[in-house]
Parts: sequence; C-alpha cells; structure tokens
Amino acid sequence: MADLRVSFLGLTLKNPLIIAAGPLTRNGAAMIKALNAGAGAVVTETIVNEASKNVRPRLVKQEQGLQNIRLYSEYSLEEWAQEIAQVKKAGGICIANILGYTPSEMAYIASYVEKAGADALELNFASPHGEGIEVLSADPERVSLTVGKVVETVDIPVMVKLSPNVSNIALLAKVAEHAGAAGVSAINTVRSIIGVDIETGKPLLPTFGGYSGNPIRPIGLAAVATISQAVGLDVSGIGGVSSWEHVLEYMMLGAGTVQLLTSIILRGFDHIQEILSGLETWLDTHGYVSIKEIRGKALPKLKSFEEISIEPYTALLAAPCPLPACRLCETACVYDAISKETGDNIRILARNCTGCGLCVSVCPEKCFQMEWGE
Amino acid sequence: MANIREVAKEAGVSVATVSRVLNHPEFVSPATKEQVLAIMKELDFSPNNLARGLALNKTYTIALLIPNIMNPLYPEIAKGVEDVAHKHGYNLLLCNTEQDRKKEKDYLSLLMNRKVDGCIVTSSLLSPDEIREIQKETVPIVVIGRCQNNPGFHCVFTDYIKGGFTATSYLIELGYARIAHIGGPEFLYESRDKTEGYRKALIENGLPLDDTLIVEADNEIESGYLAVKKLLRLSPRPEAIFASSDLVAIGALDALKTEGVKVPEEIALVGFDNIKMAAFVEPKLTTVAIPVHRMGLTAARLLFDAMEGGDTTRGRPFQEIDLKPKLIVRKSCGHEDRIREIFS
Repeated sequence: MADLRVSFLGLTLKNPLIIAAGPLTRNGAAMIKALNAGAGAVVTETIVNEASKNVRPRLVKQEQGLQNIRLYSEYSLEEWAQEIAQVKKAGGICIANILGYTPSEMAYIASYVEKAGADALELNFASPHGEGIEVLSADPERVSLTVGKVVETVDIPVMVKLSPNVSNIALLAKVAEHAGAAGVSAINTVRSIIGVDIETGKPLLPTFGGYSGNPIRPIGLAAVATISQAVGLDVSGIGGVSSWEHVLEYMMLGAGTVQLLTSIILRGFDHIQEILSGLETWLDTHGYVSIKEIRGKALPKLKSFEEISIEPYTALLAAPCPLPACRLCETACVYDAISKETGDNIRILARNCTGCGLCVSVCPEKCFQMEWGE
Repeated sequence: MANIREVAKEAGVSVATVSRVLNHPEFVSPATKEQVLAIMKELDFSPNNLARGLALNKTYTIALLIPNIMNPLYPEIAKGVEDVAHKHGYNLLLCNTEQDRKKEKDYLSLLMNRKVDGCIVTSSLLSPDEIREIQKETVPIVVIGRCQNNPGFHCVFTDYIKGGFTATSYLIELGYARIAHIGGPEFLYESRDKTEGYRKALIENGLPLDDTLIVEADNEIESGYLAVKKLLRLSPRPEAIFASSDLVAIGALDALKTEGVKVPEEIALVGFDNIKMAAFVEPKLTTVAIPVHRMGLTAARLLFDAMEGGDTTRGRPFQEIDLKPKLIVRKSCGHEDRIREIFS
C-alpha cells in the first residue's frame, strides 16, 4: 500500500488532504469531525480581531459551482483559543487562517493563535468580497511588510494564501518567499456573480462573492504551476478538488498538499475516504511507493509559449462513431473540417483541418485522436 | 482558593461558560454545569469577587477612560473593552474625562488608589511622563491613541493622517479641486492629523492650499452647521467639503439643505467615523470608518496580556497595533447607492 504521508511546512501529515478555511472548520467540534473523517489537517475558518456577522442568505449553488458571501469567523479570539486547544487535545494538525488589516494587527493575531497551539498559519488577505475590488494581497508591498512582521513575531511556519484576482501571482509568491514565508496556498475563491434571476431582475446574491467548486480548478492548477515555477516554497493547491484524480493533478503541478471544501460541502465527509482509497489504488497500480514521488511530475512538461513548435497534427477518426444521433463533433468543429452524413459516417476534410484538437475532447466516445504526419 | 480562570482551565471550558454557570445556569447544558460545579468545589472556588480579590490583592476590575461619552464612537470602544473583560471574568469601570486634563489626571489617581488591575486611556491629553507619574508600577496602562505620542506604553492606534488623506484624495479623484475642510478641535491630535492628511492630499495632487477653505469646529452637529454657513459666504464656493466627523457632516448637511444647496449635485460631502447615522441620513454619507469596536477589543487584549504577564511581545517591551481606517463610499460624494466594492 503506497504511503500517503507528506511533509508540509515542516509538519508530517498522514495524507495530503487538508480541509480548507470555511464553514466546515468553524469551531473545534467541526474540525475534529473533519479530522475523524480522515483529513490530514484542517485550516480554521478565518480568525479575525473582531468577530464578523454573516448575512442571510449567503451561499448559492449553481451547476457545479458555489458562490459565497460569507466573511470571516463569528468567534472571538478568546473563543478561538478554546477551539484550537480542543483540536490539539484530539491530536490533530491545526493551521490557523487569520486576517489582520495591517502588519501589526496580523502579527498580533498570529501570536495569539500561536499561543493557543496552532501548528502553522495561513495568512488570508485574499477574500474577493467585503474588501474592495482589489484583494488586500494584490499589493506586493503590503504582502512583504505583513509577512515579514508575522515571521518576526512567531516561531510557527507561515503560509500565505493567494488570490486569483490579481495580475501577477508569481510576483506575490516571490515577495512572500523573500519575506520569510514557509509556504503559499492558492487559490482563494474567484470574484464572481453566480447568476441573475431574470424574472425578478435581481442577482442571486446581493453582492459580489467568492466562486468555488469544479469550474475554478483550471484556474487553481494554473496558479499552482505558476507559483511552483517561481518559488521553492511548499505549495498547497486549492480550487475544485473533488476526486482523487484532481489531487494528483495538483500535486503533479507542484502542490505538496491540497485543500478541499466545496466538494465536502456537496458530497459529505465520506468523500474523503473515497479520495484516499482512489489515491492508494492509483499509486499502487502505477508502482509508486509514496505519494511524494509524484510531486511536480508534470511541471517539466509545461513550456513557455515560444518553446512550443508547430507540428503537423491533424484529426484522425480512430474508432467508428457508435451514436448515430450525435453531431457534437460536426457542430464543434470551428474549421468546418468534420461532416457527419446520415448514420455514423464521419468524414474529416483534410484541407480544412488545422489540427486544433477540439474534436478529441468533445467526442463523448473518444473516437478522435491527433495524428502526426504530413 | 481558585479564581474563575483556574476553574475554567481545569474544567476545559471558557471563562464565559463558568460565568454562565454562576449567573445564567439555564443557558448551560446539565452535563457541563455538573462538571463545572464539581471543579469549583474541588478547587474551593468562591464566586465572591470581593472576598477573592482581597485575598489575592486584586479587584478583578479594569478601567477605561474616554474623553466624551456623548460622542457615539466611545461607547463602541467601551463595548469592545467590555466584551474582552467579561470573557476574562473582569468588570469594567467607565470614566468620562470631558476632554479635560485635570479631570483625566484626577480620574487616573483615583483609579490607582482604588487599585484597579489595569487601565486603558483613550485619546489622552496627558503626556507619557504625566501618565507615568500617576501610574502604579503594578497597574499596566494601555493607550488608545497615537503611539509616538505615548512612548513606553502598549498602544492601539489608527492612522488619522491616512484617513484624512484617503477622504480628500477620493474627492480629488472624483474631479473636485476646491475642497473645504471642517476641522476638529485643534487640541486633539486626531483633528490635527486629519487636517494634515487633507493638506497632504492637496499637495500631492498639485492643488493649491487655501486657508480660507479650512474652518475649525468642535466635533458637534451644531458646529458643522455654523461652519457651512461660513463656507457658503466664500466666493467662489467650495465644490466639496471634507468634514472631520460624521456629526459635523450631519450639521453641515443640515445647513446646506437650509440654504437650498443640493448634495451631492452642487456640493459633495465626506464625513469621518462611519457612525451608524451616516447610513441613514439623506443623502447617505460617504465617510471613513474607524474600527472603534476593534480598538476596544485590541486594547483590552493588550491589557490582559500585560496583566497576565503573557509573553506576546518576544522581548520587545511594548506592542503597537495599527488598525486600518476604511473609506465607505455612499451617495453624498456624487455616487448612487452603489456597493462600495466597485471602488478600491
């Protein structure tokens, strides 16, 4: 059986699954529940100097995504000391997610939760709502001063949570590294409006919020890969992790751990064991002894745009189409290179095909492949 | 003889829970109540604070000095302090110094003699040396106010220069150039800092400084009313007004309406403090929010850290915590009731 243990921020986790900051880690009892379900560690809901109040309603699910306009924890610092102590008494690894608006305020909260027993910190100045159009951590100088002040104040490792709502996530990761951070987590939720009720003319939630779930995974993967290329820190991948495959994807792009929340909300805590079993099975069947071996495997295969050479790929129908009524390939081909005559007879017009590759992923039966040739 | 904190620790519950067992047992689960009562018996806990305090040479009381109980900001600070004090099982004594140096000194002396266990002073008019002269060695003092004015004390402060600068810069960004300022009383450092922020914003944007556009007021509604009457006599009139407090801005708004001047169409208005009323006047007031409740929470936490000798300072003698002001954009500066998020 492959070993799922990972080393992260100097801590040894029994597996790379961490429950992300949010309503499922809102107090000691909730965090212990997550740990008992199999999570390797938990991140507290964002701990703030002044407990926040939450609006109602504040969570909407649409298709595979979730928008939230929840702010921070409703518990005071004093109450959090008790909650963290409960988790530590139960033997769990507890990362405190904290927010202060100035370096000194962030450092004070950091020292408070360190005293309470937190194993590490996650600095959350990346919420896409409630803080203005630019997230607090979009400013490299603020990141540098804040991280520096926290690192000088505490002994426990400091991780910085970065937002996708910025133009240069690599720069922010480098600034965090230079200021003494031990790790970076990405991504926080994406600034969003999940939808509008067209009958009433009202947005489904009354303000911008954070979008999470499967649809943001490609954004999270890109952020993790970018950060892994830029810095040598531990990276925690967050965003749309809902299967064991997704865990491997994040890890192959450089993450040492992943954080989940939306998929646990939607599928329940049993989902954790499903993911862990899936990971063990895949690692075993692929001959890996430890999950650590796959970290960063896909990174060397990422290229800069200029390095990609134009090669003579075109579409090839590799298997006959078993769905006579399906015309997805013909509809989706933007170069009019696919025609589907009556029945299952698919023709590829070679003079039109420019090898874009879309048919390969559009076909539900995987009938197409890319062929290299003149 | 144990204290409430020792009982809480032994029982594995919060101090607030122990307090509820004593004062509101109907809100505590039977199992928890049983457990806490058993620990109290075991540790010989007496809920008689006075008896307990005398035995330990403590009063389980802290004091908070505020300069003006009628200003809605200070009760919010008091609430923050009280929220933390209660969790530690302490009572709060509130003293209103009326922005009077002698009264402030007298109160401090009285409190030291009555042996409060700790003290928070807000917007003090005394120098650090004057405070130290009165302070008893065993009674920590935390200052809410500008730290460089109070070296040698733990302090919590907010940058009023930045606040004034932010408010004025915002008006400049909107296109206003002839911006008046109704300043607060000169003897308060907060007023001087807001005015400095106002001037800095004008200078950095290449706008002229015109002292006729600055009027001093006393942070009350009526003085805002009178200040606007003065400003409307200028020719040309100001295009916008930055008032040093929301109370002054509300008085200013009243005067503008009385004179038939439309806000924001003819003159834009920005206040300071984000008191609750700011969101309920018409037009709703653009303002700079000062995190007053958080100031109270933080000051109290620093005080308890000092009183309990906790090592949160890592060898540094005093902690200085800066809490960020925040611009709240509403209709009075020219925008519809749009959500603030559109603006940074």
